[in-house]
Amino acid sequence: MTAQTFAQARSLIGRWYSIPLLILVWQLTVASGLVESRLLPSPGRVWTALATEVGNGTLIYHASVTVSRALAGFLLAAFVGIPFAAAMGRSVLVRNLFEPIFFIGYPIPKIALFPVFTYIFGIGTPSKIAFTFLECLYPIVVTCYFGFRGVQTRLIWSAQNCGASRSIILRRVILPATMPSIFSGLRVALPVAIIVVVITEMIGDSIGLGYYITIWSTRFTFANVYAAIIVIGICGLALDQALLLLRHSAIYWQREEA
Amino acid sequence: MRINSASIQNWILPVAALAAWEILGRAGLLPRYLSTPSAILAALWEIALTGELFVALAASLYRVSVGFALGTAAGIVVGLGAGILPGVRHFFDPLVSFLYSIPKVTFLPIFLLLFGLGHASKIAIIAFSGFFPVFVASRHAVLSVDKLLLWAARNMGAPSWTIFFRVVIPAAAPQLFGGIRIGLAHAFVVLFAAELIGSKVGLGTIISYGEEWVRFDLMFAGIVCFAVFGFLSDRMLLAIRSRLLKGQMIGTEEEIVR
Repeated sequence: MTAQTFAQARSLIGRWYSIPLLILVWQLTVASGLVESRLLPSPGRVWTALATEVGNGTLIYHASVTVSRALAGFLLAAFVGIPFAAAMGRSVLVRNLFEPIFFIGYPIPKIALFPVFTYIFGIGTPSKIAFTFLECLYPIVVTCYFGFRGVQTRLIWSAQNCGASRSIILRRVILPATMPSIFSGLRVALPVAIIVVVITEMIGDSIGLGYYITIWSTRFTFANVYAAIIVIGICGLALDQALLLLRHSAIYWQREEA
Repeated sequence: MRINSASIQNWILPVAALAAWEILGRAGLLPRYLSTPSAILAALWEIALTGELFVALAASLYRVSVGFALGTAAGIVVGLGAGILPGVRHFFDPLVSFLYSIPKVTFLPIFLLLFGLGHASKIAIIAFSGFFPVFVASRHAVLSVDKLLLWAARNMGAPSWTIFFRVVIPAAAPQLFGGIRIGLAHAFVVLFAAELIGSKVGLGTIISYGEEWVRFDLMFAGIVCFAVFGFLSDRMLLAIRSRLLKGQMIGTEEEIVR
C-alpha cells in the first residue's frame, strides 16, 4: 500500500518536476542578481501582481473584454463558415467560384490587412471582431470543406434508398459524418482567435489584455506583464477545454481520441 | 471543356472584385483610405525604384528565415528527443503544455527590451513562437510511428541509428511538415506584429509609415508585398515537402489544396 503510493508519488514527481524546477531556477537567477530584476521579476512578485490585479478586478475586466471579442469573432466565423463550407462541398458552382479565394488565400498572412480594418471599422471592438472573423473563417471553411467532400457516397445512397428526404439526409447523415471535421476546424480556429485579438489589442487599443501588456511594459512593470500572460494562458486553456467538452457531447459515438 | 468552364469560374470573383475596386475608386465612390489597385501598383513601382522596397524586404526576409530556421531546428531536435527518450519528454511536456496555450506574441515587449529594436528581438520572438508547433508535431509523430515497423526493423538486426534514420524519420516526416507549416504561419504573424510595434526597417514598417504619412497607396503596397512574401514562403515549403515526401502525399488534403 505504502510502496504503491510511494511509486505513484515518484512517477508524479517524474512527470511534473520541470515546472517547479524552472520556478526555482528563475527565483535563484533573480536572487543572484544575474539579470535586471525589473526585466525578470521574481516568481513571488509576479504572484503578488497577479493576486492584486485579479483581486481588484482589473485583470478580470480586461480578460473578459479579450475573451468576448475572441468568442464573438470565432462564433461569427463558425456560423458563417460551416454553412458556407457545406455549400462549397455540395455544389460545383459555389466550389468553383470560391475555391481559389479560400485555397490561395489560406497561406497568405492576413494579419497585414489589419490596418485597413482599423480604417473601415474604427480602432475599437468592431475592427477586432471583424478581423478575428476573417482569420477564423479560413481554417473553419477549409477544414469543414474537406469534411463535407469526404462524406461517403454510399451512406447518402443508402439513406436515399430508404426514402429519406433531402433535409433528413442533411441533418441525419451528412452533418453527423462531418462533425469530426467541423470540430477539428473549430479547434484550429479558437487559439487563432485569441492570438489575433491579443495582437490587435497590442497594436492599438485602450482595453483588453493585449493593451494591458503593452501599457505595463512601457511602464517597466514586468510583474504585471507576466501576470497578464498567465491570465491569457488560462483563458486559452479554459476555452480549449470547453470546446473539447462540447465535442465530447456532440460526437458521442467517437470518444476514444480527445 | 469541363475543366475550362471550371477554371473560368475560378477567376470570376477575384477579377470582378479587383475591377469593381478600380472602377469605384476612380469614380470616387470609395473612401480615401482604399487606394485603387492601379495606385497601389504605382506605389510599389515607386518604392522599387528608390530601393526602399528591397531594403525592407531584405530585413524582413533575414528575420523570418533566421528566426524560423532556429525555431524549427530546435523544435525538431527537442521534439524528436522527447518522442524517443522518456526523460526528455517528462521534462518538456509540462512546460510546453503550459506555454502552448499562450500566444507567444505576448512576450514581444519583453523580447524588445531584452534584445533591442534591431534584428535580434524579431529573430528571437519568431524562433520562440515557431518552436512550439514543431516540437508538438515531432514529439507526436515519433510516438505514433507504427510499432510493427520498429519491431520489424529490430528483428532484422538494424542498429538503433539505422532505425532512427531509416524508419522513425521517414515515418514521422509528414506530421513534422504539418508542424513546420503552422510554425511558418506563426512566424509571419509575429513578424508583422514585431515590425509594426517596434522596428525601424522592414515590410511592416512600410505599412505603418504609409499609415502615419497618410500614404494609403504605400500602406497597401506594403500589405501586398507582405501577403505575397508569406504566400511564396508557404509554397516553397510545400514544394520542398513534395520533393522530400514523394509518394507519401497521394490523396492527402494538401495535395488538393495546391
